[in-house]
Amino acid sequence: MEATLASIVAAASALVYAVVGETIAEKAGVINLSLDGSIMLSAMAGFATAFTTGSVLLGFVAGAGVSMAVALLIAFASIELRLNQIAVGFVLTLLCTDLASFLGDPYVGQRFAGVPPLAIPGLADIPWLGPIFFKHNLSVYGSFLAVALAYFFIFRSRRGLELQGVGERPEAAHARGIRVNLLRYVYTVVGGALVGIAGASYSLDVRLGWRDGLTTNYGWIALAIVIFGGWHPVRAAGGAYLFGALSVLALKLQPHLPDLAQILPMTPFALMIFALLLVSQDWSRRLGDRYPRWRRLLSGDPPTAIGTAFWRD
Amino acid sequence: MHKKWSWVALVAVLALLVAACGDDAEETTTTAPGTTTTAATTTTTAAEPLKIGMILVGPENDRGWSQAHAEAGAYLEEKLGVEIVILDKVNTADRPETTVDQVVTQMINEGAGMIFATSDDMRDGIEIGAAQHPDVPMIWSSGDSAWPEAGDAYRPDLTNLGNTMGRMEYGKMIAGCAAALTTQTGQLGYLGPLINAETRRLASSVYLGAQYCWENYRGEDPADLGFRVDWIGFWFNIPGVTLDPTQVANDFFDSGIDVVISGIDTTEGLVVAGQRAAAGEAVWAIPYDFRGACDEAPDICLGVPYFNWGPAYVRIVQSVLDGNFAAEFEWFGPDWADINDPDTSGIGYVKGPGLSAENADLVDQFIAGLADGSINLFVGPLNYQDGTPFLGDGEVATDLQVWFMEQLLEGMVGASA
Repeated sequence: MEATLASIVAAASALVYAVVGETIAEKAGVINLSLDGSIMLSAMAGFATAFTTGSVLLGFVAGAGVSMAVALLIAFASIELRLNQIAVGFVLTLLCTDLASFLGDPYVGQRFAGVPPLAIPGLADIPWLGPIFFKHNLSVYGSFLAVALAYFFIFRSRRGLELQGVGERPEAAHARGIRVNLLRYVYTVVGGALVGIAGASYSLDVRLGWRDGLTTNYGWIALAIVIFGGWHPVRAAGGAYLFGALSVLALKLQPHLPDLAQILPMTPFALMIFALLLVSQDWSRRLGDRYPRWRRLLSGDPPTAIGTAFWRD
Repeated sequence: MHKKWSWVALVAVLALLVAACGDDAEETTTTAPGTTTTAATTTTTAAEPLKIGMILVGPENDRGWSQAHAEAGAYLEEKLGVEIVILDKVNTADRPETTVDQVVTQMINEGAGMIFATSDDMRDGIEIGAAQHPDVPMIWSSGDSAWPEAGDAYRPDLTNLGNTMGRMEYGKMIAGCAAALTTQTGQLGYLGPLINAETRRLASSVYLGAQYCWENYRGEDPADLGFRVDWIGFWFNIPGVTLDPTQVANDFFDSGIDVVISGIDTTEGLVVAGQRAAAGEAVWAIPYDFRGACDEAPDICLGVPYFNWGPAYVRIVQSVLDGNFAAEFEWFGPDWADINDPDTSGIGYVKGPGLSAENADLVDQFIAGLADGSINLFVGPLNYQDGTPFLGDGEVATDLQVWFMEQLLEGMVGASA
């Protein structure tokens, strides 16, 4: 049981980076729809860089850099050119996916050691919890840190309040002297960096190595999980773990449901989308109104100004 | 407003350009690195070389099934001076808009005089394609449409569609033997693709080989050998359609299995074992399909059972060149004199660095037994998983019985259908 949970935690780490990064960007009002492509291109760039230089760290830096550049492009197109974020993001998805396939060809099947394992002395020996959370590597621990930092920053700091303001009421934020578009640039790119780290942690840890389609569809599931998570980093991370658990469940049920053995593999993605539908239904909102304490768990509203451009003439 | 749309157009054009470049690179790769086209031009004189279209289910550099075919294509070019045109990733996930028969037609329109469809997944498409182009010889690798005994699967009307497949059962038995000799926990895991007759017989072959060596070389009780099969749902990972093989492999190791034998086209099982070993766990893996498959994590690789399609493909293409091609069902075996001879043996097993010297000797002994016929594992009594008899006492399985296994064998844990 511990081993299974530990594997879920480790496997979800990449997805956790991605959902936290996207949550930050969307909180600021910018939808980075390019996730499926950015993650793929970052995974390729991260592996290629690490393989060429021999440095895992440089691999992560390269992965982050690539997705930051893509995110910057989206922010630029949205803020300066006032283009539709969805359209730009979608085109960039296709572009990045094909670029990854094209540029990554020489690195397919190359051998690289990946992120070295590193149990945290002391913590790893805690019964039950130790093996689940503290016997991984820096990439996995980083994903915990990303969730915690994002939470405290967004909900417990003044800067985070500004970030929320930019995404909820840009006019009001502007009136209070906050430089709306500058912050949107910053948070889109910061979110992009995390998305890039997600990509690198796929190719350097979770699914070590590079091959075509290494991360196909994980960007889309990350976008769904952000909505599932109600634009809250902790809930979003929970969604990533839930998705991992669903995959394991599909696997564990196979010997017991022989008639469904051929269908079970397809269920995790479908169930995740189904869960998303459930939480975005009206009744979950009403339930949240009735039991305010559960509200955070049940429903979340998108930032009011999400996907819109802000300008002052 | 004008400015806005010009930007959209610019980005879109850029995307298309890149996409086009990418596709070019993967669709028209003809020669694998290392092959010399000069050799080809000297063997055929003035005549145009025969152009052969080869359709792969996965990427041509998958370090597995598809790459083994691509390399056989290069071998064909070298030996017979033909020209190979490859289209890879022909499956509903990677190319949802493309069907195999469309590819067949397109390749023929572009001058192909012969077609290889190289996946069991291509049955419908290649049968349609063969019916549409009755004059073009075609091979469906791993198929059974040209086997008169195959019952409903037999298509006597398609006189231009032959089949070829290797007796990988032997390779899988050797893999099972190496796994059973190495395991410390007595628990083996088989990373299965989708469930059909082919995958059932290959998983069962691993089990038979494992059981033999467990019992005869290690002297253990057969009841103590655990063997679990998990199916991911396709020949390789397609997120959203299949289970993630990385996760399945991790789950195997989490539950006490210490050797994972792969039945899928790609190398996730090996990579995960390599990562686990780096973290100090005593685990091993056996990949599949492709001679070089151990390279991604050699230290924990116990070897790889692989296909060497070259010799069979050369025989078939030679018959086309000689004008006496016949749509036959062929099930080729290893060359027992040397199962790793690249020019004669269709099935091989390369022992990996993870296999101890002592166990390597036992594996050699096992191979020698298979070669001289003293070891024949498809002999009764053998029961199917639910206890119904597969082979009676002393009964030797026919090719038909092996090819069309209806279930996994008794003692194996996992879904049979």
